[in-house]
Amino acid sequence: MSNGEHIRLEELELFALGALPEAEAAALQAHVSGCGECAMKLAEARGHAALLTFAVKQDKPAGTIKAELMARIRANREAEERYAWPVKTGGRGGGQARGKPEAKSSWLTWVLAPAAVVLALVSFVLSWQNRRIAAELDREHKEAEALVHDREEIEKLVGVLAAPDTVTVKLAGIGDAGNANGVVKFNAKAGVVLYAADLPKLPPDKSYQMWLVPESGAPISAGLLGPGGRAWGRMWTGDVPANTQAKAFAVTIEPVGGMAQPTGPKILLGATQGREEDSSLRSE
Amino acid sequence: MSPQGATGEATTDWTLLARIGQKDEEALSALYDRYSGLVFSEAKRILRDAGAAEEILQDLFYQIWRTSQRFDPARGSLAGWLLVAARNRAISKLRRNTVSEELDENGVTLGFDVESHAAQNLLLDKVRAVMGNLPENQREALECAYFEGMSHAEIAEKTGQPLGTVKTRIRSAMEALKKVLL
Repeated sequence: MSNGEHIRLEELELFALGALPEAEAAALQAHVSGCGECAMKLAEARGHAALLTFAVKQDKPAGTIKAELMARIRANREAEERYAWPVKTGGRGGGQARGKPEAKSSWLTWVLAPAAVVLALVSFVLSWQNRRIAAELDREHKEAEALVHDREEIEKLVGVLAAPDTVTVKLAGIGDAGNANGVVKFNAKAGVVLYAADLPKLPPDKSYQMWLVPESGAPISAGLLGPGGRAWGRMWTGDVPANTQAKAFAVTIEPVGGMAQPTGPKILLGATQGREEDSSLRSE
Repeated sequence: MSPQGATGEATTDWTLLARIGQKDEEALSALYDRYSGLVFSEAKRILRDAGAAEEILQDLFYQIWRTSQRFDPARGSLAGWLLVAARNRAISKLRRNTVSEELDENGVTLGFDVESHAAQNLLLDKVRAVMGNLPENQREALECAYFEGMSHAEIAEKTGQPLGTVKTRIRSAMEALKKVLL
């Protein structure tokens, strides 16, 4: 490790970075504690290593941390001051250090000092609990938001299924997904619901995307299924522009996040009643 | 942001520390404002946990309040002590060491000014530029050591490189980093 009697700079830098194994670090530390020159170089190496702090993304701590710190030191200060009375007032002529009368110090000090220490501890524990509770509240808030979202989806699902003018479209599996099947419940005012079964498993970077094929124009995305999509079991709700007339529905495989127009293979396809013979809806 | 003295110049760390020694809460508040962002960001980077980083931050400044008289300007920089102590405590926590490694009496010498936010911002820009230009394997070796608390042997095992290669990478990266100070 050492070159002559001093430690090489690269070893000091490894130590400063915390990259030396425990045994080597201990040996280096032992040498440095008795070698002024190496100690000085180590202090410099630590400064160089500390530069890495400036490569870190800068954030600010919560404002409450400073308030807690100041409360903590005040409690500590009060405890120290009270505890200091009997020490400072001892000896002939030495009582003026704090200017507190002897008679007052004895029992009051020994009661208040521990009380202040206890107060400081209680303050610290309370602040810790406060942070824990805040984290818990945040988690519960997110759970509540998820529940509200689920409720809205269920209301939509019920709205589509219960509407008297909702139409049913059966979807059949295509190609490798020949075993898959699905049923679409579509209402031009209330939305679209798909129940699908036996869909092939997707790689993690893919999603199923549901499409409404309108009477004219390009297919319209009706929502994502799978990762990033909304689902209860195998039932999905989707969004389409109000009063759109559909001649068919399809499900394709697309990248996670979905596409503006279908790009991937069709998995499910089904025409609305009366449009089954439409040649433009052939699966090929 | 820098606290100003009566003559308008920024108050030095050691002046603030002397006032903290006299139990001046405003001085501690000023020192906290000066360095809390750096200390917190460093600990958070290591622990990836804001709550744990805030605990370290508060404990370090509480220690300064209680033991300010133990800090000796002859032994280096107060800012350096803060940054290295925060790193050591965070690594101890990360690796679940029961004993937190504190600094020895030799301290830390910073070859740069960080007593104002302007100086800190300048250094942030310079260091990021250097780190951005480092070869990926050199940057990884430095970060594994400083932010993950890995020894060179552990880095060699993780990267599948010979120990000598890892040492060379770290040495080269440190040389590049030191050029920030030129």
